[in-house]
Amino acid sequence: MKPFKFISATNPGEAIDMLSNNAEAAFLGGGTNILDLMKEHVALPNEIIDIGNLKLQEIKATATGFSLGALAKNTETANHSLIRSNLPMLSKAILAGASAQIRNMATNGGNLLQRTRCSYFYDISMPCNKRMPGSGCSALEGFNRMHAIFGWTENCVAVYPSDMAVALSALNATVKVQNNNAERYIPFKDFHLLPGNHPEKDNSLTHSELVTAIEIPKNNFAANSAYVKVRDRSSYAFALVSVAAGLNLKGNVIQFANIAMGGVAHKPWRALKAEQFLKGKPATTANFLKAAEAEMVAAKALSHNKFKIEMGRKTLVNALELALKG
Amino acid sequence: MKQNKTRLTPEEHRLFGDLMPEELDEVINSGFNRRHFIKLMGLASAGLLASYAIGAEQLFARTVEIEEIPDLIPEAIENGVDIAFNVNATSRKVLVDSRMTLLDTLRERIGLTGSKKGCDHGQCGACTVIVDGQRVLSCLTLAATCQGKSVITIEGLAKANELNPMQAAFLKHDGFQCGFCTPGQICSAVALMKEAKEGQASFATKDVRAAAKSIMLSDEEIAERMSGNICRCGAYPNIIAAIKEAQTGENIPQNWLFTD
Amino acid sequence: MEDSKKSIGKGIDRIDGILKITGKATYATDYPAKNMAYAVLFKSTIAAGQIKSINSTEAERYPGILKIITHENAPKLNTKGGLRGGALLQGPEITFHGQHIGIVVAETFEQATAAAHLIKIEYNQKEEKIDFEKLAQTPIMPKGKELADLVRGAGKLAMETAEVKVEELYETPIEHHHPMEPHSTMAVWEGDKLILYNGSQIINGAQTAAAATLNMKPEQVRIISPFIGGGFGSKGGQWANLVLTAVAAKMVGRPVKLALTRQQMFNSVGMRQRNMQKLSIGATKEGKLIALAHETISHTAVDDEYIEPCGDCTKIMYEVPNSLISYRVVPMNLILPTYTRGPGKSTGSFALESAMDELAYKLNMDPIELRIKNEPSKDPSNGKPWSSRTTVKCLKEGAKAFGWEKRKSKPGTNKIGDDLVGYGVACGTYPARQRDSSAIIKLSLRNKLVYATVEIAASDLGTGTNTILAQTAADGLGLPIAQINVKLGDSELPPAAGSVGSVGASSFANAVNDACIKITDELLAKSGKQFFVRPTAAQLMVSESITDFQTRSDSKAPAEAEKYSAHSFNANFAEVRINSITGMIKVTRFLAVTGAGKILNPKTARSQIIGGNVWGIGMALTEESIIDPRYGNFATRSFADYHVPTNLDIGRLDAMFINEKDLIPNKMGVKGIGEVGIVGVAAAVANAVFNATGKRVRSLPITPDKLL
Repeated sequence: MKPFKFISATNPGEAIDMLSNNAEAAFLGGGTNILDLMKEHVALPNEIIDIGNLKLQEIKATATGFSLGALAKNTETANHSLIRSNLPMLSKAILAGASAQIRNMATNGGNLLQRTRCSYFYDISMPCNKRMPGSGCSALEGFNRMHAIFGWTENCVAVYPSDMAVALSALNATVKVQNNNAERYIPFKDFHLLPGNHPEKDNSLTHSELVTAIEIPKNNFAANSAYVKVRDRSSYAFALVSVAAGLNLKGNVIQFANIAMGGVAHKPWRALKAEQFLKGKPATTANFLKAAEAEMVAAKALSHNKFKIEMGRKTLVNALELALKG
Repeated sequence: MKQNKTRLTPEEHRLFGDLMPEELDEVINSGFNRRHFIKLMGLASAGLLASYAIGAEQLFARTVEIEEIPDLIPEAIENGVDIAFNVNATSRKVLVDSRMTLLDTLRERIGLTGSKKGCDHGQCGACTVIVDGQRVLSCLTLAATCQGKSVITIEGLAKANELNPMQAAFLKHDGFQCGFCTPGQICSAVALMKEAKEGQASFATKDVRAAAKSIMLSDEEIAERMSGNICRCGAYPNIIAAIKEAQTGENIPQNWLFTD
Repeated sequence: MEDSKKSIGKGIDRIDGILKITGKATYATDYPAKNMAYAVLFKSTIAAGQIKSINSTEAERYPGILKIITHENAPKLNTKGGLRGGALLQGPEITFHGQHIGIVVAETFEQATAAAHLIKIEYNQKEEKIDFEKLAQTPIMPKGKELADLVRGAGKLAMETAEVKVEELYETPIEHHHPMEPHSTMAVWEGDKLILYNGSQIINGAQTAAAATLNMKPEQVRIISPFIGGGFGSKGGQWANLVLTAVAAKMVGRPVKLALTRQQMFNSVGMRQRNMQKLSIGATKEGKLIALAHETISHTAVDDEYIEPCGDCTKIMYEVPNSLISYRVVPMNLILPTYTRGPGKSTGSFALESAMDELAYKLNMDPIELRIKNEPSKDPSNGKPWSSRTTVKCLKEGAKAFGWEKRKSKPGTNKIGDDLVGYGVACGTYPARQRDSSAIIKLSLRNKLVYATVEIAASDLGTGTNTILAQTAADGLGLPIAQINVKLGDSELPPAAGSVGSVGASSFANAVNDACIKITDELLAKSGKQFFVRPTAAQLMVSESITDFQTRSDSKAPAEAEKYSAHSFNANFAEVRINSITGMIKVTRFLAVTGAGKILNPKTARSQIIGGNVWGIGMALTEESIIDPRYGNFATRSFADYHVPTNLDIGRLDAMFINEKDLIPNKMGVKGIGEVGIVGVAAAVANAVFNATGKRVRSLPITPDKLL
């Protein structure tokens, strides 16, 4: 690791001040990703601001839904009685990620800020536009089996690795952010970015901003939701494809469906076309299939990940079936 | 440092009296430390003082007393951070480089080498320790963040000289081969018992919506919850058997079959 | 001795287990040393060419840096000293991506690591040879004599006369050993004597290779290796890091610790090479084999050759009049491949036993029946009689225990909910050998009790050597196991074979057993008495009031063994369950039936077998290292990309042993189990996948995408 000064913040305002003062400083929450990246010399902060002691751990019900403290641990969030009973899709998604040890360390805010696991991004001897803008994308013509099928550009074909965020996307979450002057709320769809010409930017936070909470509006998905994850081994592996799905049913008719996919794009991929198709239709396998097909039309495979289109289609149908079963 | 006299069992007393008579007083007065241990191993190699089996077993269960943490020369520490924390029920103070992980601090500074560096990137679980009651990865924890925290490592699981039931179950069920991942596996399994008692859910849990209550873990539940601890020797079924035995308190049979 | 009093054959707990469960087992970097310095390696980022310049000015100025060592200032070493993989900092030449090019030694690990990033290297790059698929079009003959074409009868030509044929290409990827303990060394110089704490499967091999490379005498180098955090072949031969640690310690005049990072494990200590195996089987309609050809293309380093013998199983498994075993090789800019669990047999059996399954399917015959039908009465490769052969018994007993009759012969017809269920079977074998080993037994009488110390430079990498040697000595001397102390893992002990190629148990246990017989003989002679019943050494120590006595035995395999073909055999049964939607696979049940002679300790033996099974399941389903042919680097470079099976990947595993007594290969009738446990496993799983889905996957690993 590059040497860094270690300081601790005692409240959010102080933390933001500390960060604003130094363009090369970084926050340390659970540390499960940034330490990994610092050891690889991918992240090179010269100052680490420990925010572990900030009082941002609360998980609570609000007038409009639920609020997850940015520094609540993933384990605590997945196991909170409010989340388990009202947002089981989120519990499942969190529990699908990483290992028990990592979930005990990782924070909700940190989970959103995870960087891609693309091995070219991690290997500092390789070109990578995300790590070193302008150096090129090694994965585009390289080993890209794990990479994107939606929304990629020639600049970057990486995927975003979180499971939790896939459920949050389906749940229409909002990210609450504090900066020097004020608070702002970023809708989930705008929080993570597609690579475009600037793959170095994963999300819409500016340097001096701190995620303080994630807010989730009330919904009726608890009875009919699912999180399905397909991976190369049974546990402790990133998704090849994952799907979070929630159905709002009236009898057998879908009032609306919320669906997001993981492992397929630079951000949680909201399956809007599938959602649109399902609106007002009976919840049948045939309709699920058509919805999945509608979504996958826009998918564009790379040299090693053609399978993700078929896998995405099947997993989407599977998630809807499981959500229907409840 | 603890100044309590170590109460040696008769078997432990005989072991030191016979093998290391010159150290006996020191062990009684200031505890069984790492130097004693290394010397003992030098005398016996891995063959383990079999003639003193009971004494050795009791002794090996004991936490090794940590000697004073030697200071490093000034240029060996950049961005020094003073931390005071509790390790295996003993207060420790140490000045560390801000970059030093909890794992390296335990191993290289405090002399607790039980926790292992298998990958240093949070991908294998060999470094698992219990911090404030939760299993975490010490390789992804900066020592600097441990101010005021309580850390339990494999060396601190036994009570006095009695093995933790999880340790005993791993031994009986041969829940390891090379032993390198074992400290992490056992720390992970010990913390898992608490998680099960609290009714925590896992990805293998059929319906997370059900209210949390103390659970007896199925094989699949144990396997999913232990999947953050890689065992390259492939002792997984034995690890599951050991955890089942520790959780149920029942005698889980061991199976090997012979043809007639 | 009555059987019930014997220690051998009992499933006792590991005698070194207590140290492992309390965190007190000492691996290479667990030893304390005063004034320790820390070293890290830095590596080449090109695959072929030359180092043009190294600029370490900035790194040298970094706080706490003690020394930066490159080919420009490294001492001259003997590159033919017996270490594997080169990379000894002897010149600017680069032959693979990730070759060591220097060492940073510092006060702390943090400083050494940070400074290594400040070193700037310029290269003159050459075009690298790394694209296996392209290069495999024009492979060359390997140099090794044992790899020459082996033709029996009409060889492959006989395929033309076969009524039923299988001719397929089977592919296995590069795999890495990845023991949980990355290769690590601590070097301490005491004058002109060197102590190396280093996990070594072959203690004396590490000693002689280190000494020769450093231009020293073997007796100047001591290897201390009581515990090894796994090896699986990668700690059999030793690699540059062992000696580079010693060089660093010498140059800074302090003890030095050097542990490879997990990422460095991909290109520092060998690997299992990628293999393309063309398997051809021709048979009659009745299922009698007529022709069998096994042609393998693999790769090796540009400057050295190692090839895993994929055709080994094929040479001996089935009765067939015409056969061909051949090897071709591609030198590539990649580190030298090396022995990896079940070398050649595990990968070779994937091809052979998959092809047998394909043939059985074509013949509409049960795959067990097909194998039994082609059982050879003697070793087809050399005509020698078997010392014993248990394949048929393994198959029959296994079929019974596993419930093989429940298998649906029509693929894709066993469905439970969304899951497809399938059964598969495959056989395996591994040679049983004993290698020269010596042991000393020291007896002492104290307070009317006899204690024994067994000394042998054997190794225990989790195999249970400590325990089986204590059991052997207990029975051989007439003592309870609690009175036996085993010392191993130190080159100052009597020389022994290594824990490699499944020779460990037979070589070490026979050496100890011989020493027990010898010490009893000597005590008898010393007593000058005649006994009706031969007393034990322990009884003689007491009756003759001898306080201390010792002897040494140097053991060799019995000469008679050469006249026979001696092997362990197994049959593997797999049940898989595959989610028909996602393609995710789980091996829900696995049974390995093994004929491996005398089982010294069924508890540790079972662990060895199921460990081999887990390796085989990893080979079948999850493990693969991928090279980016544009750069020559591994695109899979951590445990996040290289998937070792997790606990949840493994279902119920059962180990069954054939109760056999085969005293031909060695006096104790021990055949070895470490290697055979993986042989046939991947094929059993792949065959089960076919049975479940009707999809034949001939390219490992069988990841979900291959089953969509």
